[in-house]
Amino acid sequence: MEHWQISMFIMVLYLAIALIVGVLAGRGTNKASLEEFTTAGRGLGLFLTWFLMGGAIFSAFSFLGAPGWAFTRGAPAFYILAYLAFSLLPWYILGPKIGRIGRKFNLYSLVGFIQTRFQSKPLGILVGFIAFFACIQYLATQLRGMAIIFNIMTDGRIAFWFGALIAYAIVVTYVATGGLRAAAWSDVFQGALMIIVSWVIGITIVKKMHGTTSEMFSKIAASNPDFLRIGAEGSTMSATAFTSVILVSVIGFLMWPHMFARSYSSNALTIKKTVLAYPLFALLIIPLLLAGFAAVGIVEVSAVGESDQILPYLITTFLSLPGWLYGLVGAAALAAAMSSADVITHSASMEFTDGVIKNIFPNLSDKQTLLIMRSAVVVIGALAYCIAVFGGQGVVALLLGAYGSIIQFTPGVLSALYWRRVTSKGVFTGIVVGFAVNFYYQMFATSTPFEIHPGLIGLLANTVVMIGVSYVTKPNTNSVIESYVDDRKVITLTDEKNTKPDISVDTY
Amino acid sequence: MGIRRFRTIYIIISILLFSTVLFPMFTIGNKAYPIIVGIPYSFFWVILWILITFFTVLILYFLDPDKEEA
Repeated sequence: MEHWQISMFIMVLYLAIALIVGVLAGRGTNKASLEEFTTAGRGLGLFLTWFLMGGAIFSAFSFLGAPGWAFTRGAPAFYILAYLAFSLLPWYILGPKIGRIGRKFNLYSLVGFIQTRFQSKPLGILVGFIAFFACIQYLATQLRGMAIIFNIMTDGRIAFWFGALIAYAIVVTYVATGGLRAAAWSDVFQGALMIIVSWVIGITIVKKMHGTTSEMFSKIAASNPDFLRIGAEGSTMSATAFTSVILVSVIGFLMWPHMFARSYSSNALTIKKTVLAYPLFALLIIPLLLAGFAAVGIVEVSAVGESDQILPYLITTFLSLPGWLYGLVGAAALAAAMSSADVITHSASMEFTDGVIKNIFPNLSDKQTLLIMRSAVVVIGALAYCIAVFGGQGVVALLLGAYGSIIQFTPGVLSALYWRRVTSKGVFTGIVVGFAVNFYYQMFATSTPFEIHPGLIGLLANTVVMIGVSYVTKPNTNSVIESYVDDRKVITLTDEKNTKPDISVDTY
Repeated sequence: MGIRRFRTIYIIISILLFSTVLFPMFTIGNKAYPIIVGIPYSFFWVILWILITFFTVLILYFLDPDKEEA
């Protein structure tokens, strides 16, 4: 057998195992239950949560984008490490609070969280749309990553568009049949695979190409020390750009709908222990950065095509490793992309159904809702496929674009939790303005002031508008505000009144 | 230590730790040389602060008065 055949065989084998694990985990539970599909019965333990988080660290972005950035841009790639390490710290404070509120009102989505607090249908629809939009962009990064893997690991025999199509089919089957529990169990399996493979591969590449990392970095530093710095004359990124990209990613990280789902389904202790472990998880991607640096000065950028392809390129073309080894790397990278893709697809369908469909057609039965959620998965995948194949953006750029939209929820969510005076009109106009500003700078402007990330400019406009409009509009008065801002007090009250939620606005 | 007080301390310490990888603080770490434990100083700086963050949050976790809550 030739190399590419062996590697394809291993990748197919992996996909089959992943599917079996997923489907088996989904069996034995009532598939038709809406509650089960959405938060896996609200009882995910610490073990599952850790692997879900670990799965979130490794994605197409860290497997392909991180080495790509290290290879073509140098020091700016450290942003990935920094953002992964610090992004979860605020969750220590916010997570348990969001979790308590979610359980009190029986929430399972970000839309539900916002809409219960602000009691505004237009706001629910808006949040649903933006979450849907951002998730599709995120999913596109993963499909793109999977397509690159299929393409390069089979020496170009699977065309890019076809690889992306296979990836799409896999993700849809997976999500539509299993729900969140399936995603969680597969991540346990995938987490182990990704960690082992990335370390073995990273160390092998550095050893084979340079001997030690000291020799490798000495060579890079000798030819261009600014490549290993930010904002110097020969650097590839300015100081403000670096800082704002980290800020956008860290602030936006907790606003992803799947982070809300995670908050609802985990207790405070689990959340805190997860935050604790996360900086160490971030260090797991170091070998992937090293692999990217290994190619600097040895491989021509033009020979690779796109920077995202450097890791598979090194393995297949440059190092001529045995076929089974690169099949294994392919499987790990697929695992990385899939674990992120299924979580994000799942939440995109949920937010869209909750925010847009349920507000426009309020009288749907549970069965109809579940059907819409599953069909939404197919549509979401198709849209992401189009962006991945025709969008022409790199993996890192796609993800940063998605963060520009998702970050616009931050002012609304934080004031829902801590600011009584905020009004629904304030949040609504804030999000609209922030999203519009971000959209303008991403799509139409050629540059931003001081090279600040568009999402951050949008966030500033968003916050100012939200505060301004809140003060000129009439304060919202309802009992929900207290149970959000001062959530602990109400919990003891509701406990005495039995476990029924005390508000009936929320019909999920 | 009260829950509110702990929260304030946690927020201040996290912001300080986070600021080490952002400009202007990152200026201190923004150098290629010396190459320490096999990696450039800038890379080392980021990893060092991630490790310090891990240990600091670990200590904070043990001081947290609120973690027994179900």
